[in-house]
Amino acid sequence: MNIDEKGFNQDFQFEAPMAPKRTRLQEFWLLFRQNRLAILGLFIFILFFCCAIMGLFITSGPDPLFDPAMIRLQEKLRPPLAKPNLDSLRREEIPCLGFYLMGTDDLGRDVFARMLQGAWVSLTVGFVAVGISVLIGIFMGGVAGYFGQHHIRVDHILMTILLISGAGLVMAHSIRFGAVLLCLTLAYIFYSFFTQNRSGEKSVPSWAKVFRKSAVSVDTLIMRIVDIMLCFPSFFLILTVVALLPASIYNIMIVIGLTSWMGTTRFVRAEFLSLREQDFVAAVKTLGASNFRIIFRHMMPNAIAPVLVSATIGIATAILTEAGLSFLGFGVPPPHATWGNILSDGKNFIFDAPWLTFIPGIAILIVVLSFNLFGEGLRDVLNPKLRERH
Amino acid sequence: MTIRRVLIFAPMLLILVLLQSYFWVPTYEEQTKGNPERLNEYIAGSIGDASLLNPILTADSASSSIENMVFEGLIDRDEQLRFRGRLATSWEVLEEAFFYVNKSSGIPGLGKAGPQDVADLLREAKKKKNTTDPRLKNSLDYITAISVIPPRNYLVTKQIKGPDTGEQKKYIKISIAAPARIKLALDRVDQDLFQNLSLLLGEDYFASFHGENYLSADPALEKERLAKYAGELLPAVEHNPVLMFHLRPGVKFHDGHLFDAYDVKFTYESIMNPKNLSPRIADYEPVKFVSVIDPLTIKIIYKRLYSPAIGTWGMGILPEHLLNSQALTKEAQRLGKDPNTFSMRQSSFNRNPIGCGPFRFQEWKSDQYIILDRFDGYWEGLPNYKKYVFRVIPDRLTQEMEFYAGTIDSYDVQPHQVKRLEKDQRFQSFSGTAFGYTYIGYNIRRKPFDDPRVRRALGMAIDVDKIINYVLYDQGERITGPFVKQTDYYNNNIKPVPYDPKGALTLLEAAGWKRNKEGWLTKDGNKFQFTLITNNGNDLRKAILAIAQDSWKQIGINVHTDLLEWSVFIQERVNKADFDALILGWQMGIEPDLYQIWHSSQTNPYQLNFVGFKNKEADDLIIKIRQEYDHNRQVEYCHRLHEIIVREQPYTFLYVGKWTAVLDKRIVIKTLDDAEQIVYEKIKPTKTGNYSFYFNKWIKLPKAPSFMDEG
Amino acid sequence: MLSFIGRSVVQKIITLFFVSIVSFLIIHIAPGKPSQVDPMNPKFTPEVVERFRKEFHLDKPLHVQYLYFYKDLFTGETVSWKDNQSVLKKIWERFLNSLPLFIVGTIITWTLSFPIGIRSAIFRGQFYDRSATFLSYLLISIPGFFFAYVLIIFVVNQFHVPVIGMETFGIGDGASLPHIFMDRIWHLLLPSVLGATGGIAVLSRYVRSQMLEVEGQDYIRTARAKGLSPEQVHYRHALRNALLPFVTMFGLILPGLIGGSVIIESIFSWPGMGRMAYEAILARDYPVILTVNFVSAILVLAGTFISDLLYLIVDPRIRL
Repeated sequence: MNIDEKGFNQDFQFEAPMAPKRTRLQEFWLLFRQNRLAILGLFIFILFFCCAIMGLFITSGPDPLFDPAMIRLQEKLRPPLAKPNLDSLRREEIPCLGFYLMGTDDLGRDVFARMLQGAWVSLTVGFVAVGISVLIGIFMGGVAGYFGQHHIRVDHILMTILLISGAGLVMAHSIRFGAVLLCLTLAYIFYSFFTQNRSGEKSVPSWAKVFRKSAVSVDTLIMRIVDIMLCFPSFFLILTVVALLPASIYNIMIVIGLTSWMGTTRFVRAEFLSLREQDFVAAVKTLGASNFRIIFRHMMPNAIAPVLVSATIGIATAILTEAGLSFLGFGVPPPHATWGNILSDGKNFIFDAPWLTFIPGIAILIVVLSFNLFGEGLRDVLNPKLRERH
Repeated sequence: MTIRRVLIFAPMLLILVLLQSYFWVPTYEEQTKGNPERLNEYIAGSIGDASLLNPILTADSASSSIENMVFEGLIDRDEQLRFRGRLATSWEVLEEAFFYVNKSSGIPGLGKAGPQDVADLLREAKKKKNTTDPRLKNSLDYITAISVIPPRNYLVTKQIKGPDTGEQKKYIKISIAAPARIKLALDRVDQDLFQNLSLLLGEDYFASFHGENYLSADPALEKERLAKYAGELLPAVEHNPVLMFHLRPGVKFHDGHLFDAYDVKFTYESIMNPKNLSPRIADYEPVKFVSVIDPLTIKIIYKRLYSPAIGTWGMGILPEHLLNSQALTKEAQRLGKDPNTFSMRQSSFNRNPIGCGPFRFQEWKSDQYIILDRFDGYWEGLPNYKKYVFRVIPDRLTQEMEFYAGTIDSYDVQPHQVKRLEKDQRFQSFSGTAFGYTYIGYNIRRKPFDDPRVRRALGMAIDVDKIINYVLYDQGERITGPFVKQTDYYNNNIKPVPYDPKGALTLLEAAGWKRNKEGWLTKDGNKFQFTLITNNGNDLRKAILAIAQDSWKQIGINVHTDLLEWSVFIQERVNKADFDALILGWQMGIEPDLYQIWHSSQTNPYQLNFVGFKNKEADDLIIKIRQEYDHNRQVEYCHRLHEIIVREQPYTFLYVGKWTAVLDKRIVIKTLDDAEQIVYEKIKPTKTGNYSFYFNKWIKLPKAPSFMDEG
Repeated sequence: MLSFIGRSVVQKIITLFFVSIVSFLIIHIAPGKPSQVDPMNPKFTPEVVERFRKEFHLDKPLHVQYLYFYKDLFTGETVSWKDNQSVLKKIWERFLNSLPLFIVGTIITWTLSFPIGIRSAIFRGQFYDRSATFLSYLLISIPGFFFAYVLIIFVVNQFHVPVIGMETFGIGDGASLPHIFMDRIWHLLLPSVLGATGGIAVLSRYVRSQMLEVEGQDYIRTARAKGLSPEQVHYRHALRNALLPFVTMFGLILPGLIGGSVIIESIFSWPGMGRMAYEAILARDYPVILTVNFVSAILVLAGTFISDLLYLIVDPRIRL
């Protein structure tokens, strides 16, 4: 026993100072490469990305190569690979490939051009929505995890409530009262800044001490906000907001983003809570690094893994959510084509023109699947607990 | 290992149980062909459910399709769109007209005269055979009785509302010394009566009557305000059209209670009762009062000339004995609710309706189905179908599939499906012009839409025929104006705006718009651009949106498009007139009353003339049309109004859709001929396109019959 | 223990209060008004609209409306603006319709994901694992309505049996009880399978990763070293410990009771909660929207509460 232990220790000491043979990225890639499904996902993902970029260039501008908005009513519902009827078309209406690669839709628009344009729009919706949710998630989670033990004073809460209700009143058209509330609140905030700088808390009368009491910790507050958000069924919430707001591509992105940040927040908070106690953070702190530097230079890279995974899968979910909203008539409105609204427009013609349903349907399936598989692969690789022990 | 076994067998068992259920389910074949009862029921598929089954409380189409089966009105329209008696056997349109005797105005050949003299003068003139003016003679001929109402004094209390009175309410007492009044009874409505009588009584006999001279207010009021009250309290002349309905004897409600005139009166009163919040209140607002002459005669007196009034009595009649205040109080007490706040809206009647229509209500499962049984005691004889079922299937595709399988008999068929199903041997299809049209409306308040040339040019740039041909699959017709196309009111001489992009450019050039180097139209350095909006959820409008955008782009107009959710679209954009151009449709009644949509007084926010159409001549015609009870003259006015609207082009009128229906060929009309033999006929749409007019005679046969005229 | 319960109940109630405020604000501040006050219908004169507004208290300031609404809700007097029916009664009816869908869906999810996940973990990296991963992701990657349509068209054209609705239309007259019962089961099959696909994919992945984590622990190595059969190791030692977090998930499925899927319910003509809520949103039937929201918030909170409690009971390491 003793010898064993000693030997182990020696081994350990012997090996420790050696620099790692491979960088973190290399090691990561080696592991990732073993997961063939994830590689496939990555490959399709890159392909999709290229298509989307290409689609952006050849379907937009004043005189695009493929015009997704060009209407040729006499050429409606032509099957894929059909040759156009050249007699009935004007010169600029002839598709540039010489045939309709993916057929035409119910208004005679080229489905291929629309799919190309839709690739970019769907991609943007996915990325921006997830971007918003990740940014909010990291911010909230970071604050909760790092500054969690700080407390918020009663007067702060009161001020916030006043501020929000003031803004609410302004929005609910009772502008005068709302503006008064807002001004009062701002005035108080300035006042408290000044007093704090000059005299500290000495001059506060005793009755006002109640307001200076600590009420809740930042962590509790943020986690309660997360709880509140989680109380709304997410698709239902998106639907409510999208139905109530004017439909536009930006609203859809923002709404999807604003309703899906809670998971990220929880991940980041949990990671931060555990990282904060680790030695390297304490070391950096003693070196006198600013909070900002600690968070972004030292803690964030270690906490980012689960966020990346959930973001990848989040993009897939956002694309599907957009398709679901399109089905109900609340998706991205025209003239933007997305795969979701091509699909939901096409479903009316499923017996007359099945390609209008199947092309976008299968395209969505493949892309979403690739994102999911890629995300799953990432999760496998990034989670050290799940690494196979050799 | 038990755990392992459980883990493997539990899901397998579950899957097995779920899958074997397939063998228990009746196939479509068994449901349709194998079920003889299926021939006796008619199942209609619908996207949405009804809200309430009470004709006075609802205005949505799903609810009214059921209400039309359960309830019956006094009248309806026949194949030719003429009125036809249902619960009423016949009716008369009369008039009572009043005017105050104007003692200060001289009558030609009589001088200033008292009431008796005026009445005598009128009687004399009526007797005279050769009156000089034929117009006067006509009007006098309509008069059936002349009587004098003696002068009387009375007090009225009015509440003043106005900017200067501030918050507190102020009441004034007005004492009225009404002069004698002459009452004329007419056997028809004559809107020109007083105009014609002034030929006899002197040109300004009516105009020079100043009601304010007979009023005195406490506290005193300034002259103008008093004159305003006088116009209300002592109008110089008054038309009171009268509708007299003779009701069908022996008609019963589904619960066996006899229908009579008190039910009609009750229905009217329920609509007017503010507690019920009836959406139909506007139709009945011109009614002065309803009086029951005897249980089978009812007289409705109107405050003013309002010719669409007759049509409003197609409204389903409610059973008084189930809904009057005693019945409601009883129900409230049974439910333990406060009888004072309990109104007809809360009554369980709305989900369990009883009327006197051909079908009686049986069962309603929310968002699933409503079942109606035929009513044995229906006055016009039994319907052939034993059951009418209204089945809610919210998805169009599954609806279509259920239809192919034969488990529903009708559904909301789309134009492209009609095209495909027309060729199918199993089905018969009908189409007829509908009552609603689709248009592009321009906000005339905004530049450059204030110029009729621009509006016309925009219309010329759109190839409407192509839209009808390719988007609607010919399930639509062009329309040029706001009247129902199959009525006489529609002016068929007017040609639609032609498709002519070149002509459009010429017109636009005349209006100052020229194409710049990039091809965009500009005027004074401004590009021609605007936003075209419509509501989402309507695929046709969405297609038109795309087509219009594309067509206008081709003549150099930069159009942005926007699709908005219905209530946002209406409340934020349409009601506030915050739009450039929009695509929308109007569902029209047969009555040619265009007041709400086209009169210049209706251009304010929240009113229906949201495009801001203002035309003096059109205003006059609109008023005349709604006051005219004579069909031919109405037609004449309508034709003129139609011309004006076409000249002004406030809308680009696109098309009127068609009612299209596809039915199983086995559904036919079954009647008995004179020799009591069963005769089957093919279902044919009426002239107006309504294919379900003879619904009560429909029946489904086991095999499709072959008809002589087919082939 | 008691203090934990007390503390979390108070916390949940405060959260619920905020949820009620937020949902109320979202709905009232957003543009669009209830369809009953829709002035686009020529039959609605401004006076009628005004009267409706008064009847629905829409003319009052927001905070008064808030009090009115929640007073009505707690006394059970809330009525839908659309048809004047009691909202709670409506929700209860719909809840009963959605319940079988939920139960069958949950059973499918839970019974299928465990064997799949466990086997994937045992055969990690092998063909079975890969194909299970691929298949489960395939199922959640298909846009739901597209999948539903393809399935419906396939089943109807191949087997000629109805799949939509809660039961074959008109089966009630004359069919025997087992027929009716089995017919219901059949109609449950497709929508519940569709509803369960997402759950199966996520849960089976979760089971797999939990198993893998446990299989890496030292006590499993010990068990193996002891010479136990692999089956015993996997199913007795590993599975038991891997199951721990799933016990708490029982609480988290509670909110699923009320959140029916709008898309699946409309495609399958299923008169469930989701569709009612969706139609309420479109018609701006505020009482229904808010009540559904409130009830679902209660369920979410109750769900987390139960799962916390279960965790407390199951895992002796946690003492709060």
